[in-house]
Amino acid sequence: MTIRAQVGMVMNLDKCIGCHTCSVTCKQVWTDRPGAEYMWFNDVETKPGVGYPKRWEDQEQWRGGWELDKKGRLRLKGGGRLKKLLRIFANPDMPELDDYYEPWTYDFDQLVEAPRQRHDPVARARSQVSGRRMDEIGWGPNWEDNLAGAPERIHDDPLTDGIEDQVRAEYEQAFMLYLPRICEHCLNPACVASCPSGAMYKREEDGIVLVDQEKCRSWRYCVSGCPYKKVYFNHKSGKAEKCTLCYPRIEQGQPTICSETCVGRIRYLGLVLYDVDRVEAAASVPDERDLLAAQRDVFLDPSDPDVRARALADGIPEDWIDAAVRSPVYALAMRYRVALPLHPEYRTLPMVWYVPPLSPIAGTMEADGYEADPDEVFSAVDDPDAMRVPVDYLANLLAAGDGEQIRDVLRRLAAMRHHMRKREVLGEHDESRAAAVGMSVEEIEDLYRLLAIAKYEDRYVIPPAHAEQAGNLLEERGTCGLDFEGGPGNCGAIERDVSRPPGYDAAADAQSAMRPDADRVDLDIVQMLGDRRREEGLDR
Amino acid sequence: MDHLATGSEDLRITFADAQVQPRTVMTSPEWSGIEAHGRRYSPFTMNVECDKPWHTLSGRQHLYLDHAWMLELGEGLPAYRPPLRYTAIFGDQGARDGSGRKELTLQYLTPHSKWSIHSEYQDNLHMLTLFRGGGMLWVSVEDAADLDIADGDWVESYNRNGVIALRATVSHRIPQGTCLLYHAKDRNLQVPLTEMHGRRGGTDNSLTRIVMKPTHFIGGYAQLSFGFNYYGPTGSQRDEVTVLRKREAKVVYE
Repeated sequence: MTIRAQVGMVMNLDKCIGCHTCSVTCKQVWTDRPGAEYMWFNDVETKPGVGYPKRWEDQEQWRGGWELDKKGRLRLKGGGRLKKLLRIFANPDMPELDDYYEPWTYDFDQLVEAPRQRHDPVARARSQVSGRRMDEIGWGPNWEDNLAGAPERIHDDPLTDGIEDQVRAEYEQAFMLYLPRICEHCLNPACVASCPSGAMYKREEDGIVLVDQEKCRSWRYCVSGCPYKKVYFNHKSGKAEKCTLCYPRIEQGQPTICSETCVGRIRYLGLVLYDVDRVEAAASVPDERDLLAAQRDVFLDPSDPDVRARALADGIPEDWIDAAVRSPVYALAMRYRVALPLHPEYRTLPMVWYVPPLSPIAGTMEADGYEADPDEVFSAVDDPDAMRVPVDYLANLLAAGDGEQIRDVLRRLAAMRHHMRKREVLGEHDESRAAAVGMSVEEIEDLYRLLAIAKYEDRYVIPPAHAEQAGNLLEERGTCGLDFEGGPGNCGAIERDVSRPPGYDAAADAQSAMRPDADRVDLDIVQMLGDRRREEGLDR
Repeated sequence: MDHLATGSEDLRITFADAQVQPRTVMTSPEWSGIEAHGRRYSPFTMNVECDKPWHTLSGRQHLYLDHAWMLELGEGLPAYRPPLRYTAIFGDQGARDGSGRKELTLQYLTPHSKWSIHSEYQDNLHMLTLFRGGGMLWVSVEDAADLDIADGDWVESYNRNGVIALRATVSHRIPQGTCLLYHAKDRNLQVPLTEMHGRRGGTDNSLTRIVMKPTHFIGGYAQLSFGFNYYGPTGSQRDEVTVLRKREAKVVYE
């Protein structure tokens, strides 16, 4: 057993109002600069919908994440090193700009500088990539907000595959939910394993997945390898970029920007201790539906004295273990089991989990003979399938298609609401609802507190980075973040090489990396075919 | 309530300050929320926390209004009013150019979007990027099919008040017979000339106008007195019909 600590996140979809404040504040901090205009490290999608980039969830098209080969061994869906080498200049699994969208701006100066003319002046749109006029904008990062345009493409949403009859673009059948997304900072990151240059890495201290801007050689296999499409390619700097989980803030014990500014207070941040030696086995379980249990099995109970002793021996500071005990992420994912991983079937063991939303009862007395007790507002306790959002749809999102995992969570959430309603509105103390879902009254009320009224300190339990580890962090600091010229520059500690142009052409860089140059020891080909410990383990 | 002014004694806002950026003013007892000391607005915090009576005859919140006119018009309690029958009052709104083009008369709604309240505009780059980059009229699946409108097509919507040129967003969350344009849309960004008049596009309020109700003439009666940005009898200017048709002419901006 080798214990590591990971900063994880849980988002409660019941409380997301789709305001996109997380997206805007994230953009302003991280990606509001040349080459990054089209990137949204955080985006919010309306589901059903095709998402951003389009149909990112369709891994038959994009071939991101992992799969099991015929012998049941874990391998990248996008292919191993030899396959990558053979198509190194033409990767068919690479999303193009149109799959995201062509970013634009407006000729704002026209509004104040237009000459005297017959009509009111107007600022017209212009591409931020080519500079050409865009008299008709064709797609955007949130084109489908609130089911916009859904009738034409509702079944283009990969989550509707096989359940088309349950998801129809009809007024009476309408349902929707918001899905805020960031990088999953996976325990088994496909982007890291896909990188031929060793530029992507997962920090040992806190599990944050980052791109080393110095080492990145523009191969972009991280982009196609990530099944969540949360690694982006900066076409100005020629480097990959991604969500950093706001590590400069995390190191100070502060929540990420998206969490800090979340209006609905849907986000939770906290530590999870896990056994890094069991990650590969967990990601390799034969049945996709067992991945949730397998990942939970990798997590360790920080209150267990043996785990604590071992964690200390593995170099995890004591106050981090204490923080792991208080972690809301651990509570929601493990203790109360109401949070689920996003697309566990990608086998990356993602670390941003979601509480699925309750929704109104869709059945009616008239149509279905559905007889609900007026006091049973949350009938999901008995029948989650009566809810408006189809259980199978949520199962395709959060449970590898296993509706029972969703029903289990919805029953707990409904029981919690039912219990609290009885207590607060009717003044009754009824233990039956909690018992029916295998929880004590104390547990169900603690879950209520955590989901409904938890304060800042309860939602974000982040121990600051340690002084004795600062050397490591500092060493990484200069290389991992986005502190290049024109970047947001939150890393601070880097010495800039001013002699080098800020953003050089990606193709030229790729070519120079291919050239057999005597003083270059880090040739990508060499690296790709070299004995990297991680990949060795996978190719055995 | 002095404590609300603490720390703001020397506050002075000049015209030049206001030109640079919006400024927060001192919390006034005329207002309903406490916005002092970095706190955000929340309704009636002043009444609750400072024991300030509500601006009503009883000093309490009222659901029931016993003013004689309100009672006479059946509005003593909140009441549902069906949409006005505008075509009966003002005549048919459609076919203004006599071209015989396919048109539909729809109920016109202008609710607040989730991204702005009151006159807060969302016409900036981030917010426009986060929807479709320009004005969008939400249309139901059925009405769009009737008019051969596909999602994203350019449309024109008009009535006796004005005309707007924008694009259609087709969605099954809009019921048939209704179209929706979110409130507080400006006409400065990506708004073309209209097909009908050849003039600049229009805003959500191009199709509406102030409509007075008899209850609006009540004055000098507790909360039914004039107060800037204050409450009074419900308005009805958002109760409107409009004619929708697909744009045939090329989209031009200048």
